[in-house]
Amino acid sequence: MLLANVVVPSIGFGIVTASILALAAVGFTLQFGVTNILNLAFGDVMTASAFVGYYVNQAGGDIAESILAAAVFGAVASWALNRCVFTPFVRRGTKLFGMVIVTLSVGTIVQNVLLGAFGADFFTFQGGLSTQYHVAGMTFSTLQLVIIAIGVVAMALLQLLLSRTKLGKAMRATSANPALARVSGISTDRVVDVAWLLSGAMCGLAGIVLVLNTTTFESTTGSSFLVVVIAAAMLGGVGRPAGAMVASVVIGVAMEVAATFITPTFKEVIAFGVLILVLLLRPQGLFGQASSVREVAA
Amino acid sequence: MSHAFQFYATTLLVYLGVDVLSVWSLNLQYGMTGIYNFAWILFQSIGAYTAAVLTLGPSTANTGFQHFILGTSIPFPLPLLIAGAVAGVFSIPIGFVALRRLRADYEATVMLVISVVATLIVSNVQGMFNGTAGLSLIPEPLYTFLHVSTLSYSWLYVLFTAVVCGIVYIFVHRVTSSPLGRAMRAVRDNEAAAESLGKHVTSVRMFAFIFGNVIAGMSGALLVQFIGAWSPGAWFFVETLIILTAIIVGGTGNNGGVILGALLVPIVFNEATRYIPTSFAPAAIVDSVQWCVIGGLALAFLWFRPQGILPERRRRFPVPPEYAAMAAAGRYPPHDERGATGTPPVAVLASETES
Repeated sequence: MLLANVVVPSIGFGIVTASILALAAVGFTLQFGVTNILNLAFGDVMTASAFVGYYVNQAGGDIAESILAAAVFGAVASWALNRCVFTPFVRRGTKLFGMVIVTLSVGTIVQNVLLGAFGADFFTFQGGLSTQYHVAGMTFSTLQLVIIAIGVVAMALLQLLLSRTKLGKAMRATSANPALARVSGISTDRVVDVAWLLSGAMCGLAGIVLVLNTTTFESTTGSSFLVVVIAAAMLGGVGRPAGAMVASVVIGVAMEVAATFITPTFKEVIAFGVLILVLLLRPQGLFGQASSVREVAA
Repeated sequence: MSHAFQFYATTLLVYLGVDVLSVWSLNLQYGMTGIYNFAWILFQSIGAYTAAVLTLGPSTANTGFQHFILGTSIPFPLPLLIAGAVAGVFSIPIGFVALRRLRADYEATVMLVISVVATLIVSNVQGMFNGTAGLSLIPEPLYTFLHVSTLSYSWLYVLFTAVVCGIVYIFVHRVTSSPLGRAMRAVRDNEAAAESLGKHVTSVRMFAFIFGNVIAGMSGALLVQFIGAWSPGAWFFVETLIILTAIIVGGTGNNGGVILGALLVPIVFNEATRYIPTSFAPAAIVDSVQWCVIGGLALAFLWFRPQGILPERRRRFPVPPEYAAMAAAGRYPPHDERGATGTPPVAVLASETES
């Protein structure tokens, strides 16, 4: 019974991966949509948040406190990076590709500061919460159920925020046309700040649940995960949170199911294959519209 | 000079030659044509692997401790040339995916993803290029044929590298100073305007991409035949950032300026961190310091001097006869402060007719 023994359990793993991926991809795409800065430091902020969560745990905090600390750190760090580095560069006239170099440089520095500070070791996160549950032929640990719950709740809250609140409307307006939003009386500076805080919190959450799920991590964990995050964000149409959610489920499940048929090390190659197909057939992503915006909003 | 110092000097000189080829290659793409090739290191490594498997002989040699495809042994200098050709051939499908009129930052990201995934594939397919361990014992060209000491051989290799650099420079200079080079800069500065003047934007970009990658492949071959080993650790995507930083520091779009960048960034700054006393910082930290220096340099130059130390020379064209009177009155060109990448000629004409 290939279906029941192999495919269905791997869909279970896929749902866990999709939840982690959704947190990261939605955070990535939300901030990108609002500010138009493609943040290649995202993965390294994930790693930094994971380290914060790890040390909170080492200092005697429980899992909930670790997750909270990582989310808060991610939010503050992302906001601070934007305020202290990215926005000043944009105001100075650095263009789209210049900003890619800026974020990549910042990411490289963050990663190497972590490497220098904590060494090139693997860190093991003893999460506990390993009781197994069987749901419809799939097996989940308590921890994995918690991860799925965090993913689902965060997605639902974000969707409500974007569709039902004034702030969400302001964010969507800024994303669509920053100049028009500004003349319509929206404080785009405040919206940009909120976008970085929200995206950073999701970045932190994604970082900590990623390492909780894999248990071991190192200073490059986040930046290697970033490729999959970018694939999901592009598949969903960059700047489209709802698209990124759907794309995360597609890529997460595809990766884990494929991993059972070929070697697991090729999981990311699957994500990449999906991305190439999308770029060839529909460059604006599954849910995106062709973007004509070519400059950065600050 | 002591022998040890001479070995150090020859190694640095070969590295410098390879880095100069590298910055020319990426400058053709990024500096001249505005192609955001974050997969640049992939093409250097395609060249390196090609040259390696074409000189190593069959995979069963050396008791078969490493596994790779195509193992053969062909005479010098064919591996170098074939390495460039193979990198050029690989550019075509990759260019077809990545050069599709994407936004600048998408293009960069797609290239980056291609680079990362290529590393993943090569690391995990053991039989292709010996996985993460990589290839080693790659023979130095003509070493057994020349019958010279190791040191003399190193100096000969420096000479050979210089010759390759010279030949490549002739090609690069011919292209960038030709009408095609002008078309490349037009595509970089204003795609729509270039297209409206009848330039085939995609062909120009594809040409620069392939030409640059051929040079990248040759630089990889030159490097690998000197150092004798190549593995996925040598070409992780951030390595491209070093060459990109060298270009930004030297002067984007200036073939001469980027040589200075190649000297300063990969050679001077990377070597300087080697002399941090180990009592102050353990060896593992030196590596992270190097990366922080590269990132810091990129940020500092983008902030303080985005045009680089030796900026691209502003190109001057003879004054057209109908403007001769204006030129005599010192009013041509109308805005002398315009940057090298400033207003395209069409807009200059437009502003002329308005005023």
